[in-house]
Amino acid sequence: MNQRFFSRRELLWKAGGGIGGLALSNLMSGASVSPLAPKAGHFPAKAKSIISIFCYGGVSHMDTFDPKPMLKKRAGETIPGKTIVPSQGTPGGLMPALWEFKKYGQCGMDVSDLFPHVAQRVDDIAFIRSMHCISNDHAPALYQMNTGSIQTGYPSLGSWVTYGLGTENQSLPAFVVFTDPRGGPIGGAPNWGNGFMPASYQATPFRPTGDPIVDLKPPEGMTPERQRKWLDFMGKLNEEHWKKNPHDSELAARIESYELAFRMQTSAVEAVDVDKETAATRKMYGLDENITEYFGRQCLMARRLVERGVRMVQIYSGGGNFGESWDAHWDLKENHGQHCAETDKPIAGLLSDLKSRGLLDQTLVIWHGEFGRMPISQRMSGRDHNPQGFTVWMAGGGVKGGTCVGATDEYGLEAVEKPQKVNDLHATILHLMGFDHTRLTYLHNGRYMRLTDVEGEVIKEIVA
Amino acid sequence: MCQVMTYLRLGLVLALAVVCAHAQQNNDRHSIGVKASQIIAANCVGCHGAPIKNAGLDLRKRDTILKGGERGAAVSPGNPELSRIYRQVAHLDAPHMPPGKKLSEEEIQTLKTWIERGVPYEDILDQKEEEARAALAKLEDRPITPAERKWWAFQKVVRPAGMKSIDEFLLDTMRKKGLTPSPAADKRALARRAYLDLTGLPPTIAQLKEFVDDQRPDAYNRLVDKLLDSPHYGERWARHWLDLVRFSDSGGFEYDRERDNAWRYRDYVIRAFNSDKPYDRFLKEQLAGDELYPNSVEARVATGFLRLGVENNIRTEQTRMDELDDIVVTTANSLLGVTVGCARCHNHKFDPIPQKDYYRMQAVFFGTKAEERPLVSDEELKKHKDAVKAIEELQRPIRKEMRAVEQPTRDKIIAKRKSELPDYMRLALATPLEKRTDGQKLNANQVEKTLENIREEDLIAEMPLAARAKRDLLQSQIDDLDRQKPRLDTVMAIMENSKDAPASYFLHRGNIGQKGSKMAPGVLSAATDGEWSFPAPPADAKSSFRRAGFAEWITSPDNPLTARVMVNRIWQNHFGEGIVRTPSNFGKMGERPSHPELLDYLASEFVQSGWSVKHVQRLIMKSAAYQMASDDIEANIKIDADNRFVWRMARRRVEGEVIRDAVLATAGTLDGTVGGPAVYPYIDPALFQSSSKRTWNGKAVNDPSTYRRSVYVFSKRTIPLPMLETFDRPDTMSSCARRNRSTIAPQALILMNNEFIGIQAKHFAQRLEREAGPDTTAQVKLAYELALSREPKADELAKAIGFIQSYPQGLVDFSHALFNINEFVYIP
Repeated sequence: MNQRFFSRRELLWKAGGGIGGLALSNLMSGASVSPLAPKAGHFPAKAKSIISIFCYGGVSHMDTFDPKPMLKKRAGETIPGKTIVPSQGTPGGLMPALWEFKKYGQCGMDVSDLFPHVAQRVDDIAFIRSMHCISNDHAPALYQMNTGSIQTGYPSLGSWVTYGLGTENQSLPAFVVFTDPRGGPIGGAPNWGNGFMPASYQATPFRPTGDPIVDLKPPEGMTPERQRKWLDFMGKLNEEHWKKNPHDSELAARIESYELAFRMQTSAVEAVDVDKETAATRKMYGLDENITEYFGRQCLMARRLVERGVRMVQIYSGGGNFGESWDAHWDLKENHGQHCAETDKPIAGLLSDLKSRGLLDQTLVIWHGEFGRMPISQRMSGRDHNPQGFTVWMAGGGVKGGTCVGATDEYGLEAVEKPQKVNDLHATILHLMGFDHTRLTYLHNGRYMRLTDVEGEVIKEIVA
Repeated sequence: MCQVMTYLRLGLVLALAVVCAHAQQNNDRHSIGVKASQIIAANCVGCHGAPIKNAGLDLRKRDTILKGGERGAAVSPGNPELSRIYRQVAHLDAPHMPPGKKLSEEEIQTLKTWIERGVPYEDILDQKEEEARAALAKLEDRPITPAERKWWAFQKVVRPAGMKSIDEFLLDTMRKKGLTPSPAADKRALARRAYLDLTGLPPTIAQLKEFVDDQRPDAYNRLVDKLLDSPHYGERWARHWLDLVRFSDSGGFEYDRERDNAWRYRDYVIRAFNSDKPYDRFLKEQLAGDELYPNSVEARVATGFLRLGVENNIRTEQTRMDELDDIVVTTANSLLGVTVGCARCHNHKFDPIPQKDYYRMQAVFFGTKAEERPLVSDEELKKHKDAVKAIEELQRPIRKEMRAVEQPTRDKIIAKRKSELPDYMRLALATPLEKRTDGQKLNANQVEKTLENIREEDLIAEMPLAARAKRDLLQSQIDDLDRQKPRLDTVMAIMENSKDAPASYFLHRGNIGQKGSKMAPGVLSAATDGEWSFPAPPADAKSSFRRAGFAEWITSPDNPLTARVMVNRIWQNHFGEGIVRTPSNFGKMGERPSHPELLDYLASEFVQSGWSVKHVQRLIMKSAAYQMASDDIEANIKIDADNRFVWRMARRRVEGEVIRDAVLATAGTLDGTVGGPAVYPYIDPALFQSSSKRTWNGKAVNDPSTYRRSVYVFSKRTIPLPMLETFDRPDTMSSCARRNRSTIAPQALILMNNEFIGIQAKHFAQRLEREAGPDTTAQVKLAYELALSREPKADELAKAIGFIQSYPQGLVDFSHALFNINEFVYIP
């Protein structure tokens, strides 16, 4: 699969008919380059692509990757000197983790029984146990995790990265998002939107079943031959108009965009065709089991997409409200039990598969939610939102595996050791992708905007 | 802590004792501590002391220095290289401190030595209150220098002497640059351009013919006047304004609440453009309609301008600040062409916009409150409330009965839940009230509160069939009554509670925890001479009249920005780019005007005409410049490829709205009704799956009631119409002054494959057969007239006939192709 950026000349000839020769030299000289043409970062970097696994709703860190024995010891009691005001309902006492922890890997990392498969990959993973964010409300917290700002109207991480690096495959969207079958995250499309940047940098939502992109399939009865003939005819109809403005690269780009769309109709379908994978690979992602089939399919498609040069893929686990997402305000046991069962094996499968294909080094995998959860009980059996301390992890793409940075207090309430802001996380991701986050800017309303606003420090401890 | 410090100091003392005598050492320590305190008192405590503690750091006392701030420790005693204070004052790390200046080498060296010697310190005493207040006011003050006032955009508009037409200004520059103006566009291209620019719709065949056949010398001027009178003119030009004020029919954020009365503001804007409402009045109504025109319903609708931003579902002081920020920033951006957003946290880095100006403008809007204002009289309102109450009375006994039906199941669920509680919770419940620990009290309370709280679906699932049927019946009775509640028409408006505005403050670094001085209302200092005086509210006023005062300043003929900014926007929407190409930024980071005198000429014409938008448009449209062809001219391109000096008409791709409207108009299916509630065209459900409120009340894809102009499509922030979104519809989160014009493959996919477009292509083909008969030549000629406002060239005609006749679907595919080609989507 080597679909590098087509040269303009090549495309013009493909556009059909005589227009290819029309003032071609002028066009080549003054031509605007596609906004998604591949570009270099500020410095060479290992990571070329990002796969973000977003556990929307908020994962309980003390039940997954951040063991807190004190919760068991002091079950039902309060934290001395602390009054916790929950976002809703009445506060309870401390609630022990509902799952046991064991140590895994060469590094001896603690992982709970919720993630038995991911636990096998800890030597490739760097954990940040001291994340904290601003809002304890879903939408602003999601926006912050995705765009750096709790407000809407800002470009998402994927937009920044495609703005900075373009994409390696001009026959596929540069930035793809998969949402959960139960619905998208709160806040909707601005989570992967282009904000104040041009529309070229927004994510294209892919559906894991049927046609991946809406309007990708030609209308009923439109065969490839008929469509080819139709496009060639359109090329002729465009001639008269273009003759008057041979220097206008926008007109050429628009003709080009139809050729790309035509190619995408086949390339996008091919890119997500998991039937092309071996039974063993499909099994590794859990495609053979009901509970993991959907998320596993998305993870496998994500690998196929980054393999083909797509810059960023974001997959949401959890959608809609409450129980449908990781938002375990009650019955944590059932909620996290369900969501971990759906995602554990596919995530581990993705990491193993990327590694065995030599792709893990160039693919940065990020696992995160928008915030963590509280050490105290809510509605007897659940946990409330907690933006003051939680865990995210990264693997591949120049990350130092088997490491862990920062810590929450002994109850998991607040990040106390090496607290990391979302800006720090973003600075680190951009660093791994080859950018100095203070220099990746976009001029908007008179200000050079940054993903990290005016803050952010690279978390050096987890950079290999 | 204290003990640890003692050991540390002791360690340090012992280490130094090797080289120093004790007495000498203590003396040094004392004197370096005093020196450091002096440097810090003079340079740092203004922002890191009282009442302001930026980054949570207080440098007045040794213990708070050691404690540090949000970013961790400020010093590492003995290790300057590891100390933030030293690294930042020595400019080894960003941000450099103090901001905007560097300490002298000697001072930096002193601080270094001070840290090396273990941070001895002479605590800085608190200032007296009035001293502190004066120091604070000084800190917040950022005077404007005379040089800064000289910036071109802050000078009053001066009508240039001598020249008197747009063409003279343009020709003058062209001559100087060696550019040749383009010849006049042909009549058909000109008609298409004028129609698309002024109404957003291509001309009909009759309209085109009327103009082409009109041989009178003023035929074109008549056309311009006619189009300015068209009701579709307001639809087109309202859209530009709606972009600017980030209009949407929903609230965004988590719930993206639908604003089912927002369309009244949209219709207000359409009417304002259609009636050529004077622009000063237009702005006054939007900023302060309630204060200035209390008896006008129209003016109340206009205040919806201040309600158009996104709404957070959490209401806190912080989210209110964000809301006000959106209002201040949008007002400054859209009406004044300046960027003030950065001044929320610090003085503007490039323009003379002090942070204080931001908070003085915030004070203008600080007392505003949202109001869903009924459109009926007080008397009718009372009747309405009584009617609603009467229905609620009828519902009450039904609700009671329902509760009784549910009770046995509720009891059962509660008993089961109790038995499943973890041991520590059961223990808490079993422990007598007075013996419960703090945690047990919380848990017992939580259990009691939660047990009763049963979700409807859980309840229904557990109910016996008979009870469930009974409950359904009662529920349907309640729903029936709900539907009988009368509707009340309201407008989104703004009000204030009292003539005394609530106190608002300068917020250091934009932080609500760092309140500075109390703020009075104000305007942009750099753009006004002296202080703008705000009127005192009338004795019986219910609002502060701060907005009225602000609106008076904005619409004052002396305001250097308002008229220039608006005429530049008008120009941009006719020529593709403004005279200032950064239409919402007339500051230093923006571009300078390409024709400053022309800008001032238009601005003075605007004000003198009584702020008539249509007057300015007549001047522009009737100029020779507007009527030039858009073709390439080799020699000119070498000099000015960007057409900065307007030697031709720019060829522009139209907006997604215009493409959709033109498709409908060409296919002959457009419903041209003006105004009214929004419509919901079809959206593939797979697309709004990804919204948290996954509701889009879309009609069928072929429902003609949705074939309205795009300005009437319900604009939902989280579920944009894909066709519009893909063609660069603004995100409606912040003001959009100039749309992106991207060219991307998904646009092609929509026009190629989308079902709606396919349906319209079929309608277009049927129209051709209906109106041109079975003759292919006649069909192609008609198609060109309808879609492109011109006749086909001979070779085009031949190619089209050949294509249409080559296969059975030829005519449909030909019709469909016309929606896709460049000429269809570019203004000639």
